[in-house]
Amino acid sequence: MTTTDWSLLIVMAAALAISWIKNRELTKKAIKIGYKSFVNVLPFFVVVFAAIGLFEVLISPQTIRGLLGGSRGVLAPVIAAVLGSIASGPPAAVFPIGRYLLDQHASVTAVATLLTAWVAVGTASLPAEIAYMGRRFALTRWAVTFVFSIIVGVIMGWLLL
Amino acid sequence: MNFLAWAKKNWLLWVAVAAYSLLATVSLSEAKMAAIIGATTFASVFVTLVTVFIFVGLFQVWVREEFILKHLGEQSGFRGLFLGALLGTAIHGPLVGVFPLLKTLLNKGARLGVVIAIVSTWAIKLPMIPLELRFFGWKFTLARQFLLFASAFVMAPIMERLIGNVPELRERKEE
Repeated sequence: MTTTDWSLLIVMAAALAISWIKNRELTKKAIKIGYKSFVNVLPFFVVVFAAIGLFEVLISPQTIRGLLGGSRGVLAPVIAAVLGSIASGPPAAVFPIGRYLLDQHASVTAVATLLTAWVAVGTASLPAEIAYMGRRFALTRWAVTFVFSIIVGVIMGWLLL
Repeated sequence: MNFLAWAKKNWLLWVAVAAYSLLATVSLSEAKMAAIIGATTFASVFVTLVTVFIFVGLFQVWVREEFILKHLGEQSGFRGLFLGALLGTAIHGPLVGVFPLLKTLLNKGARLGVVIAIVSTWAIKLPMIPLELRFFGWKFTLARQFLLFASAFVMAPIMERLIGNVPELRERKEE
């Protein structure tokens, strides 16, 4: 349990308490709704985290280093975006990789793209997104975010020249 | 719901099982490691997920549709986008946990662009900024965070145009 978890729990408990004091029936209903939606998406969560595990093993930091270490010109940000969007995970995990890559003379563009795609694109959660928001929304967002992470990288490279 | 219908609806579960079995036949230790990584990641965000769903419930019963329509609806303009972007910054946890909330917002009449703004700035993790600072320094961190925030205002109009039909999205009832 991290501090963020605790603060989140405290906020939730406070919100529940206020809601309970204001209206018990509605609060019960709220918990029921929350519980029901949770049980409904639980299989998706299992799939998503199973996929994260697979990606992390198959696309290890070593693989990423191998592909992005050293300057690779125009292709580097594209490779970074692909890697970042597949191997998504906690942001805390990507910072050390990014730092290492910079030290290995990877470009700022590639590293910024990797960081952004890692957090923003979310390929592993795509099935859940399709189920909730529909195919059109999910796939459009996926594609736009993918391109956008490269744009962020390119602007970053230009800003920090 | 009987098991067969459940199994059919969650066919992705079987894809995952198949993928793991395949990996296990190639390399048992790698499959094991993947399972462990997956499970620990799941465990680490479990608290977040539970709170998110409690909020989904509270949100459903307390937030009035008129309120959403007024502040985040079709007529909310730039202010709505800005509110959405701020909201996205504050949200924490994995993207999977955010979809139920987004769905609820859409169903209550929020503008599609606002929802997009939330997902865009969701990539900003306030608690992670100190860490990014430590690894990459001020210039890199600030520039990237600023670009992420600004992205909300670019992504929203683009996505609204690309997706178009919002009522269709809203009709997808939560099961």
